[in-house]
Amino acid sequence: MSHSKRSDIFLLDTERTTWHDATLWFVRQKRDKAVYATPEFQELRQLASDIKDHTLSRLDFYLQQFEENARRNGVQVHWAADAHEHNQIVLGLLQQHGATRVVKSKSMLTEECHLNPYLIKHGVDVIDTDLGERIIQLRDEAPSHVVLPAIHLKKEDVGDTFHLHLGTEKGNNDPQQLTETARQHLREKFLVSEVAISGVNFAVAETGSVVVCTNEGNADLGVNLAKVHIACMGMEKLIPRLSDLSVFTRILTRSATGQPITTYTSHFSKPAEGKELHVVIVDNGRTKQLGRPDFRNSLKCIRCGACMNTCPVYRRSGGHSYDFTIPGPIGAILSPNIDMRKHASLPFASTLCGSCTDVCPVKIDIHTQLYKWRQVLGQEGEIPASKKWSMRLLSRVLAKPAMYGLGGKVARQGLRFLPHGLTHGKGYNPWAIARELPEPPKQSFREWYAQQMVKL
Amino acid sequence: MKVALFIPCYVDQFYPQVGIATLQLLEKLGVQADFPKQQTCCGQPMANSGCEQDAIPVYYNFVDTFDGYEYVVGPAGSCVYHVRKHFDIIEQTPAVQHVRANTYELFDFILNILGISEIPGSFPHKVGLHLSCHGQRGLHQANESEMTPVRDGQLKRLLSGMQGLELTELDRNDECCGFGGTFCVSEAGISARMGQDRVADHVRNGTRVLTGGDMSCLMHLEGIVRRAKLPIKVMHAAEILNGAIL
Amino acid sequence: MSSSREKILAAVRANQPDELPLPTVPSFEGDDSVEKFTSIVQGIGGTVVEVTDAARLPEVIHQLFPADYRIASPLLPEANVPVDAQTPIEVLAAVDLAVLQGEFGVAENGSIWVPEANMLHRALPMITQHLALVLDRRNLVATMHQAYARLPSVGGYGTFLAGPSKTADIEQSLVIGAHGARSMVVLLV
Repeated sequence: MSHSKRSDIFLLDTERTTWHDATLWFVRQKRDKAVYATPEFQELRQLASDIKDHTLSRLDFYLQQFEENARRNGVQVHWAADAHEHNQIVLGLLQQHGATRVVKSKSMLTEECHLNPYLIKHGVDVIDTDLGERIIQLRDEAPSHVVLPAIHLKKEDVGDTFHLHLGTEKGNNDPQQLTETARQHLREKFLVSEVAISGVNFAVAETGSVVVCTNEGNADLGVNLAKVHIACMGMEKLIPRLSDLSVFTRILTRSATGQPITTYTSHFSKPAEGKELHVVIVDNGRTKQLGRPDFRNSLKCIRCGACMNTCPVYRRSGGHSYDFTIPGPIGAILSPNIDMRKHASLPFASTLCGSCTDVCPVKIDIHTQLYKWRQVLGQEGEIPASKKWSMRLLSRVLAKPAMYGLGGKVARQGLRFLPHGLTHGKGYNPWAIARELPEPPKQSFREWYAQQMVKL
Repeated sequence: MKVALFIPCYVDQFYPQVGIATLQLLEKLGVQADFPKQQTCCGQPMANSGCEQDAIPVYYNFVDTFDGYEYVVGPAGSCVYHVRKHFDIIEQTPAVQHVRANTYELFDFILNILGISEIPGSFPHKVGLHLSCHGQRGLHQANESEMTPVRDGQLKRLLSGMQGLELTELDRNDECCGFGGTFCVSEAGISARMGQDRVADHVRNGTRVLTGGDMSCLMHLEGIVRRAKLPIKVMHAAEILNGAIL
Repeated sequence: MSSSREKILAAVRANQPDELPLPTVPSFEGDDSVEKFTSIVQGIGGTVVEVTDAARLPEVIHQLFPADYRIASPLLPEANVPVDAQTPIEVLAAVDLAVLQGEFGVAENGSIWVPEANMLHRALPMITQHLALVLDRRNLVATMHQAYARLPSVGGYGTFLAGPSKTADIEQSLVIGAHGARSMVVLLV
């Protein structure tokens, strides 16, 4: 199903679309306020972009430097070429420790690898502990946003889910009380889990540390209570120096939610005494993207979600309309690298307004990459044949001024004299679903102009 | 100054009055512009659909048409932006480079090439300004809310100079209207919803005349205004300025 | 050395572009005043209490928290839950209040650097129901640039802690007290 078809389903609920749009616009406004209040914000964006560009250009060096320093710190480093190998490594570690109870904090990478279903299939009780993630886990849904995984749900939906799974009173939709219920429910899980899995926001090559940022404290609570901490990271999470974190911690949350920093910005360098810390470095298509010059800088992404919050299409179609782990504009440039055919409609799910590029804290030229993916898809034959042939025909007309002049005249006359019902048929004229066609004038500009020239 | 008028294909066919207003406004500001009739389109519809290669003959037609002029001026930021940004896939001959560098959006031309920052005139209406993304974010003709809270821009300045003209203060100053070229039909549902939301912002804040620098966004918004039978008149800013100039 | 490691590194080498320069990050300065720090901490849901004299700490804690709280702290003689790295989870889970030393605060975001050495147990700052961080008012820096400049090493584990645990995952409604501490007070000495 294309993005447009899935959006049409979302749009059926007009009220909810209004609410979804307004809620995310509110997040965008919080971001604006934080950005306006930081005078050097644009300089920080440039620095962040340059640091990431540099890192990607020497990624082999930094990966090895990170590995060497982490090992020196007593961290065990694993490499996974793809999602399956990542899942196998994690399961292997769990089995090695005889662990069946696992808590997990937010990690888009493990979503991308579909780790949860894999572990569950192998008898592991894996519990997502980020509140939003837990909500969607109970509902068996995918996250609809990288920072706000349950943003597609209203508090009534969450109330119903908690009533069903956690025994809250029916009709109790109070966020405060629902959060308290989740706190109690998840505390039990935190206290008994043998292994905790976390994502990674940044990996510092020069110190071999991984940095995890959360507001809820679920990552720290989980990994600091468990005997084993497994941190899963995409290979693009690297930054060279500890001091580079000053740039990234300043832009991440300001871009994401408008906060000055997350509640917990935690640096894990060594396992606690008697415990284990594992880092799994994952490729899963990233080296392929690194080899696409037009698209490689999408790997600079720090998963702040600002491009989603600002995207007028995302806000009105919801994260699930993208049918990819990472939704929104950034997802639309990452997904074709993974499966071009399946995600062929995503680069077209944009007006190319460019707002995504302008909010991106690491200056990924998202809308330009959307345009370029369209060209790749066109050349690879992944756009509908009807579009391809109509564009070819259009090009023939527009390359020949005489043909264009005549064609325009015929079309205008057609519009003028055909009945409204025929020109505005919603079945074959998508324009007409909500819009009138322009009233065709008798004369085109060029006809008028020629007449003026004769008069002179 | 040898200036060519670039009237985008859909303006030529559907909004001749905008082409006429552009030509007359330039005349009133002392510029005699030619309309080379060999012109057709900038090629953006094909390119945005992923058929950039098919657009190449159209790009060459554009360059051949306008190569002999000092400046090319059009009342459509999106088309101008396409010429400037995306004509990079053809060989960069001196002609191509010249045309890309000297194709201007009308108001950019008036302000930055003609150096005219105030047009005397009167237009006593409540006017809502729609900022088109390609003019604003692409050609930097207006500040962006992503960067600054200051709502400033070329058109805002030109319109503010009109006597009696009151500009609508919008809730969302620069959100995209959802036209997006072929997006308006390939993602028709979202496109329509975006347009309706934009129009609603204008209605909420009292716009009686909805204007902008890009007729493509206005065509889409006008389609929505007319379908909903709203008491809002949609005009290209060239029409306002040309009609109001003293 | 797994084969995936070699495969990945080879693919990286084949696909990465020519080296691009690594920029020097300037030290963006800013306001490092107590007022700025205090207003930001309040903005993120925390509280700042100015303690005129470090000796008054027990008295202030007594005023701020109920007398029956189970307290873990290396700073207070009246701490009644002894905690170290080996303390069992059940004991940790019963702590009402942890009073810990913060190393320095960052005025621009209200965060306080707490290294492992100050935590008694790595999980204590999160598992405790309430958290109080003691901070010397002379140890405030303006921005994260000065903050990292003060950290030659981050040790085995350390965190910038900014306010109480919070979430907005239900309809963007801010709720304080997600999984970590329900409240966070900074005791400025």
